[in-house]
Amino acid sequence: MRFLLTLAWKNLSRYRRRTLITAGAIAVGLASFIFIDGWLVGADLQSQRNMIWYETGSARIVDAEYWENRESVPIRYAVEEPEIVLSELEQLAVPATPRITFGGELIVNYDPFPEDGALPTRVIALDPRTDDRVYRIDETIVKGRFLEPGEEGVLIGAWTAEDIGADIGYPITISTRTQDGFRQTIRLEIVGIFATPNPVMNRGTLLMDLDVADYYLEMDGSVTQIDMLLPERVDADARATEIAGELGIAGDSLEMVTWSTLAAEVLAIAEAKQAGTGMILFMVFLIAAVGVGNTMLMAVFERIRELGMMRALGMTDRQIRLAFVLEACGIGLVGSLLGVGLGALGNVYMTTIGMDLSLFTESIGNIGYRIATISYGAWNPTTMVVAFILGIVISGVIAWVPARRAMKMPITDCLIHQ
Amino acid sequence: MVSTSDVIRTYMSGEVPVNALRGVSVDIDGGEFVSIAGPSGSGKTTLLNLIGCLDKPDGGEISIDGMKTAVMTSDELAYFRREKLGFVFQTFNLIPVLTAFENVSFALSLLGLSDEEVRDRTQSILDEVGLSGMENRPPLKLSGGQQQRVAIARALVKRPRLVLADEPTANLDSETGEAILVLMEEMNRRYGTTFVFSTHDKMVMEHAHRLVMLHDGQIVSDERR
Repeated sequence: MRFLLTLAWKNLSRYRRRTLITAGAIAVGLASFIFIDGWLVGADLQSQRNMIWYETGSARIVDAEYWENRESVPIRYAVEEPEIVLSELEQLAVPATPRITFGGELIVNYDPFPEDGALPTRVIALDPRTDDRVYRIDETIVKGRFLEPGEEGVLIGAWTAEDIGADIGYPITISTRTQDGFRQTIRLEIVGIFATPNPVMNRGTLLMDLDVADYYLEMDGSVTQIDMLLPERVDADARATEIAGELGIAGDSLEMVTWSTLAAEVLAIAEAKQAGTGMILFMVFLIAAVGVGNTMLMAVFERIRELGMMRALGMTDRQIRLAFVLEACGIGLVGSLLGVGLGALGNVYMTTIGMDLSLFTESIGNIGYRIATISYGAWNPTTMVVAFILGIVISGVIAWVPARRAMKMPITDCLIHQ
Repeated sequence: MVSTSDVIRTYMSGEVPVNALRGVSVDIDGGEFVSIAGPSGSGKTTLLNLIGCLDKPDGGEISIDGMKTAVMTSDELAYFRREKLGFVFQTFNLIPVLTAFENVSFALSLLGLSDEEVRDRTQSILDEVGLSGMENRPPLKLSGGQQQRVAIARALVKRPRLVLADEPTANLDSETGEAILVLMEEMNRRYGTTFVFSTHDKMVMEHAHRLVMLHDGQIVSDERR
C-alpha cells in the first residue's frame, strides 16, 4: 500500500500543471458550494432573526377567527382581556407585549408633503412601555424618537418616508374602520422614522400608540395579538405548545401560532431557492467530475506500457486500479484543500463585511428574504467537511472507470503500445 | 523446469489469421542459460510471452515447475509471475517517476516483505549489478546500459526461478550489450536462475549455453553448447 501511495504522489508531481488545473476546477466548484451555502444559511438565519425581532416575535396569541380570516385583518375578532393572558405569561417568565394590527389608508396633503396622496398601509399599534420586551424597533430610530405612551404620534418606515417625502413633525391621516365597522379617521404627527433590517417593516408599516388606537378603533381594551419572545436556541414550536397548554389555550377561542407559521411564505421561498441552488451545485460537481475523469483517462492512456509492465511483474488488476484511484484522490485532496480554503476566505468576507443588497431591496422591496441592507453569510462547518470529503471521494470514484478500461487490454498489447 | 508441449498460438491480423507458433515443444531445465533465436516473425516473443504467462496458448500445454499455467485465472497468473518469474524488456520499461532504488524495490514490495528486508535486498542487488551510488537517480538520468542493469536487478531481486528477457540488448550499443550479457551470465552462475532470452543478434547468440532456433513458428534446431 505504501508503494501505491508513493507511486500516486510521484505521478501527481510528474504532471504538475495538469494536476493543478484539474484540482483548480474542483477547488472552484467546492469553493462556490461552500460560499453559496454559507450565504444561504446566513441569509436564512438573518431573515429569521429579522422576522422575530421586528415583525412576528417568536410566537403570537390571536383569536381563532382572526387567524382564519387573517388576510383581511379583521379587528372584530380580538383577544378579550389581554391583561389576564399577559399576567399569566409574566408568571411563566415569557416576555410578551400586546398589539393591534389593522389596515387603512395613509393620506397625506400637499404642504408640508410634496404632494397630496393616499396609499394603503398596515398600522401596528403597540405599547411603548412593553414593546421592547419582544421587539427591537426602538433601536432602529434614525430620525426623531420612539413613541411615548398615550401620545397621538406615529413612527414611519424610512422607505415610506422617502417615498412620500415625510419628515419629523409632518401630520398624517389614517382612514380606517372601527371594530364595529364604522369609518374612522385618525390624525397623527410623525415623531420618528425607523429603518429596521426588515424590508417589510420599512415600507408600508406605520407604528402608533396602543391606547390611542384602542380609543379610535373602539376596541374596549381588546387587542388583535399578544406577541412573545422565546430564547433563541429553544424549539419555538415545542415551547409555544407547552405555553399554550399551560395557559389553557388549546380548544379555546384563542390560538397560538409560532413565527414559522407566520413566516410560512418566506420559508417556502427559502426552500425553493435552496432546491434551485442544489441543482447548480450538482452541475458544479459534474463539471469537476468530468475534469478529473478526463485527466485520469489521459494518465491511463499515457501509461499503458507502464501498466503492462506492472501487470507483468505481478500486480493484480485490483492493485493497479487502486493506484489510479489513489492518484485521483490525490488530485481531489489538493482540490478540496484549495476549495475549502477559498470557500473559507469567501465566508470570512461574507460573515464580516457581507453584501449590501440595499439598492436591490429598496427598489424591489420584498425579495423573499427579510434582509433590507447588508446580507451576511454564516459559518457552516458541516458543509465544509462534507465538501472536503466529497471532493476526494468523487475524484476517486470517477477514476475507477478509466482505470478499469486499461485492465481490459491484454498485457502483451500494453507492452508494445506506443 | 519449463516444459512446452505442442504449443500453438494464432493471432488475427485484421481478418487474416497469423500462426505465430505451430506446435512448439521444448523442455528447459533449471539453471540453464537459453537463447531463443530466429528472424523477425519467427515467434520468439510469442513463445517468451506464453512461457512468462503474459498470454495464453490456443493449443498445447505449458508447465513451469510442474504447474500447468493455461488453467490459471488472471489473479493466479499475476501471483505466479510475482513469485516465480522475472522479466527484462527490450525497452527497459522502468517507471520514470521512481528512482532506480524504487524501481527495484517495487518488485519486492509486492511480496509483502518487511521494509528492512526490502531495503537490504534492493541495495545488495544494485551493488551486484554495478549501480552503487546511483540508487537515487531516476531512469532519465541513467544511460541505456544502466537502465537495463536496473531492469535486471528488478528481475533478480525477488530471486525468481526463471528470468525471461525479450531482446535485452536490442536498444544498446554492442559494448554495452556485451556487458549486459556478461552480467546475466554472472547472475545465472551465481544464483542458478534459469535465463531464457530472445534475440536475433548473432553476438548475443554466442553467449547462450543453449540455442533454440525458431523459424515460422516452429523449432528448427536446438543446440547445446
